[in-house]
Amino acid sequence: MSETENMIVLEAVEKVYPGSTAPAVERLDMTIPKGEIVMLIGPSGCGKTTTLKMVNRLIEPTSGRIILDGEDVTDVNGDLLRRKIGYVIQQGGLFPHFSIADNIGVVPKMLGWDKNKIRERADELLHLVGLEPSTYRDRYPRQLSGGQQQRVGVARALAADPPVMLMDEPFGAIDPITRDRLQDEFLEIQRTVGKTICFVTHDLQEAVKLGDRIAVFATGGRLAQYDDPDTVLTHPADDFVSDFVGGGAAVRRLSLLELSRLELHPVETDVAAVGNQNGTPVAEVDGAGRPVSWRHLPDRDAAGTALVTVPLSGTVYDAVDVMLDGSASLVAVVDDEGLPQGVLHWNDLVAGLKTRERER
Amino acid sequence: MNVFQYFAENSTQIINLTIQHAQFVFYCVAIGSIISIAIGLLVSTGEPNPNRFSFDWWATGIREGSLLITAAVLTIPSLALFVLFLPITGLGVTTAIIVLTIYTLYTVLRNTVAGLTAVDRSVLESARGLGYGRVRRLLTIQLPLAWPVILNGIRVTTLISISIAVVASIVQGPGLGKLLLTGITRIGASNAFPQVLIGTVMCLVVAAFFEIIFAIVQRLTIPRGIRV
Repeated sequence: MSETENMIVLEAVEKVYPGSTAPAVERLDMTIPKGEIVMLIGPSGCGKTTTLKMVNRLIEPTSGRIILDGEDVTDVNGDLLRRKIGYVIQQGGLFPHFSIADNIGVVPKMLGWDKNKIRERADELLHLVGLEPSTYRDRYPRQLSGGQQQRVGVARALAADPPVMLMDEPFGAIDPITRDRLQDEFLEIQRTVGKTICFVTHDLQEAVKLGDRIAVFATGGRLAQYDDPDTVLTHPADDFVSDFVGGGAAVRRLSLLELSRLELHPVETDVAAVGNQNGTPVAEVDGAGRPVSWRHLPDRDAAGTALVTVPLSGTVYDAVDVMLDGSASLVAVVDDEGLPQGVLHWNDLVAGLKTRERER
Repeated sequence: MNVFQYFAENSTQIINLTIQHAQFVFYCVAIGSIISIAIGLLVSTGEPNPNRFSFDWWATGIREGSLLITAAVLTIPSLALFVLFLPITGLGVTTAIIVLTIYTLYTVLRNTVAGLTAVDRSVLESARGLGYGRVRRLLTIQLPLAWPVILNGIRVTTLISISIAVVASIVQGPGLGKLLLTGITRIGASNAFPQVLIGTVMCLVVAAFFEIIFAIVQRLTIPRGIRV
């Protein structure tokens, strides 16, 4: 991989806090490619947050170099550097005495943007994070719910369109249902903006769901494994990682893998496709296009197999559950409207689940 | 002579003394607040950053030291402190202003420090993360957020100062003390009681005046997002 394709490069970065002999982060080499989401995960005190904060030099490394988009930023002015890097923290950290629009505009204002341009940008970003500008721009943070504040926090970090975003457990203090929604929206936003994102979490599920790669940190600030989510789950690099990922990782992986990330088998709804020889199952649909029963299944008696469905937003675990429950060896995956998007076979579980690249 | 008669006959003098009293308190509180807020800001710039141990130690030292000294001063009886300054600054307005200003320091300093340190850590951290430098953070984030607490300190110190200012008349300071002290020293004489009563009531009038001013200032200067 050439130098320019790596957005963040950490070279032998180490952090030893004053008054302590053991490093908080031990000689770390890490490369984050442009446009990827890297999840930093590990137990408390493993150095994941310290690592994140060394990227924008909120914490100065004791030794080593930090290279951002090909430029060595180890010794540049920290405040100026941080204006070029988005930063989101757990409680949102919005300024309570600034209106929502002013909160979003803080970095553009420091960069000397024109007032009108700042206002337009705030409206644009409120739209992006799903808050109606006319309703929210003049409100104050305390008038917003935790989830809404966190969205504004993300909008503020995006304001000056920085290539890199650092997120320190941004959804950590949010209730599980809202968190799930925010995660989905976050991926949606990332599809539009394509930032290079460094994301600290302590939630393995979140790491697998959001991450293109996962960096597992071990106690003592050691980077134990840096791989894509599947590899971390199925091939832990050492005992620490396999302990961290937990027992029964193969089964756990099922509940961590979302169906939307899988390469599914095609499904037909057209009567003309009945009897096809390429192995594509054909479903009978109702007036709204929702599958109700199987017309044709390759190598099987269609009438003897119940048609069961699972939503695309579910996990492989949900699909297995539905198949066991309905004594079916295949399941139709449907979208929010109930339209069939593909099929998952029981055999796929054993043969190995194919994940697809996330759309960019 | 009854109270109303006395007031009617001396109204010009009484009103002048009342205005003088209010001005005297205003100047001392203003000077004292500027000094206290300046000290408070200087010692609160410590970064929440473990790299900067030395600066934090220095700032903490000054902060605790100045709080200790101003608190100690507050326990000295005001009568004594006015007299103790006589050999240095002599009789008159200078001594009165210096001593009353000293009394205003503690409350404002204490509230400034408390207000600045009570600002939510996550707010300061995100400010730093977005590229706010130390001074910008202090002036545009910490100070406005601490302002309600600081303003309250100024208000309390103003009320305390109104009564301490009375004592200043023993060093020939300005204000209602002249009226009150004359009355007190001549208690039993014909005009003594009206003088004491009117002096007291006028102190209350000054206090009410400042309360109204503070309510307006509060309304105008506390940012909308943090108004209670």
